[in-house]
Amino acid sequence: MRAMARPDSYSINARSALLRYVFAVASVVIALGPALLLQYFKFREVEFPLFLFAVAFTAWHWGSGPAALAIVLSSACFDYFFTEPLYSLFFTVADLPGILIFVSFAALIVWFSSIRRRVEAQLLHARDQLQLEVAERTQQASLLNLTHDSIFVRDMSDVITYWNRGAQELYGWAPEEAIGKRSHEFLRTIFPAPIENIGEQLLLAGRWEGELKHTRADGTQVVVASRWSLRRGERGQPSAIMETNNNITERKRREDEIRGLNQELASRSTELEAKNKELEAFAYSISHDLRAPLRHMSGYAELLQKKASAVLDAKSQRYMLMIQESAKRMGDLIDDLLAFSRIGRTETQKSLVNLEQLVREAIGEVRLETEGRNIVWNIGRLPNFYGDRSMLRLVFVNLLSNAVKFTRLRPQAEIEIGSDDAKENEIVVFVRDNGVGFDMKYVNKLFGVFQRLHPSQTFEGTGIGLATVQRIVQRHGGKVWAEGLVDRGATFYISAPNHISAPKP
Amino acid sequence: MDKLGRILMVEDDPKDVELTLTALEEYNLANEVVVVGDGEEALDYLNCRGAFSARSGDNPAVILLDLKLPKVDGLEVLQEVKADEKFRMIPVVVLTSSREEKDMVASYKLGVNGYVVKPVNFHEFVNAIRELGVFWAIINEPPPGSMKK
Repeated sequence: MRAMARPDSYSINARSALLRYVFAVASVVIALGPALLLQYFKFREVEFPLFLFAVAFTAWHWGSGPAALAIVLSSACFDYFFTEPLYSLFFTVADLPGILIFVSFAALIVWFSSIRRRVEAQLLHARDQLQLEVAERTQQASLLNLTHDSIFVRDMSDVITYWNRGAQELYGWAPEEAIGKRSHEFLRTIFPAPIENIGEQLLLAGRWEGELKHTRADGTQVVVASRWSLRRGERGQPSAIMETNNNITERKRREDEIRGLNQELASRSTELEAKNKELEAFAYSISHDLRAPLRHMSGYAELLQKKASAVLDAKSQRYMLMIQESAKRMGDLIDDLLAFSRIGRTETQKSLVNLEQLVREAIGEVRLETEGRNIVWNIGRLPNFYGDRSMLRLVFVNLLSNAVKFTRLRPQAEIEIGSDDAKENEIVVFVRDNGVGFDMKYVNKLFGVFQRLHPSQTFEGTGIGLATVQRIVQRHGGKVWAEGLVDRGATFYISAPNHISAPKP
Repeated sequence: MDKLGRILMVEDDPKDVELTLTALEEYNLANEVVVVGDGEEALDYLNCRGAFSARSGDNPAVILLDLKLPKVDGLEVLQEVKADEKFRMIPVVVLTSSREEKDMVASYKLGVNGYVVKPVNFHEFVNAIRELGVFWAIINEPPPGSMKK
């Protein structure tokens, strides 16, 4: 029967059955030998236990079939060799009790031994099952050890029964240290909600998810994303909880950090907005309140001049003129400053701009300054640009007005507007003149507010034009730079990313 | 000057008033200018109430309106004028120091007829006032019901 439990021996089943009967015969023959020998030496009555022994041995090892054969054979041998008449199978009534006792004894032995064999077979089967299960469990457990998640199982009274390698790595406790402990006490769990509520949900849904705080072996705290699954027994009663935990401490820390940064950003934005509002109010007040007194100064000075021109000498007349000129200049400065600050405050309204057309418009706008001048305009091929049209117009008006202004001393001014081949999605446009130029030493001062490289008597202006240009270009994500030589002209460049292909509204 | 219309000037700054009147005088336009110092007075004048309860009910030919005014500011006056059936036809010209786009947009949205930024330079200022006066008090045909001299 043991052989039958092994599937690979089915083919040799018949042979082994035959063999068992051969062994049964052999057992009887082996018992017969000593019995005959002892009879020869006049030892009587030993054949009975010897045959019983042979039957018992056969039953023990080869089962009840061979044992039955052994009983029959033993009885025949007993009758033939040991009862009168000797060497004949004929038996008398006097032999009957002996034979019956023998057969009864033998049958009893066979019965016992068959029971034993059955029990043994059952035991072996149970053992095999158990071994299989153990192997499977071991494999599963080692699979759980492969994962980086920390997994442990606890029974319904919170006692840890399984602890994988991930848990060991996360918490720093070995399985033998953890198993048998109550998990919440052991890990000093901090729950996001009352444990009763969590338990309720777990029983209801069979699972629960949430964030827990645990304390590790080294005393540090970890935040884990925890998933609990309820395991139920055969009758549906909750039997264990598997808890899978992922360390999200670092993620939480980053989240907190980001949240903090965002809050800071928000408060800074609010602050900035408030500052902007303040600035706007300031600009408004400059626009409105500072201009009024200037207008009055200029107005009354002129009225006075008109009224008193008869009595004023030439010097006084000039003083009056100076007052008016200064008032006018301050008015211009205020206007330019306001325009400059407005660029930073107003939203850009972008559209596709034809720069060639824009340059022609800008030339038209500086026409007043070009009257009576000999100027050769060279306008090269200019790209289309995605930007704020009115701001860009201001850029070119400023650059061209500068070029016109600083070529004033030339008998023939040459002003070139062109574009350089640039990278994809970027434009480079330049304005070049043959004017008085500048010393590259001072190139950094060109774009500052109120920075001037020439005395205002020679070249008038408030010193805000190039600062305005720079601010507009910067608001388009670009940059400006200049090259020049004293008395050999200047070139102003602007470059900016150009998103013609994907314009955004 | 039998066609000269009456001008209602709303201006709180006495210097501006003086300079404006001087500029108008130079062109003989100042004889029919009513000056009020704030928005409330302007509305009182139009509605013939308060200090102006005794005046005859004709509308001015044009209102020259400053924006920054005590009590009721210029934009509020503009809004009331343009919302009132009796006054909405009166031409209103904003005459202000503010070059702020915000003010300009708000004024036009409320239906202003003109927006003039007072030039700092007196010459330009006089020119602007003269042109305003000539256009609105002489050239422009005011709506029916306006006061004509």
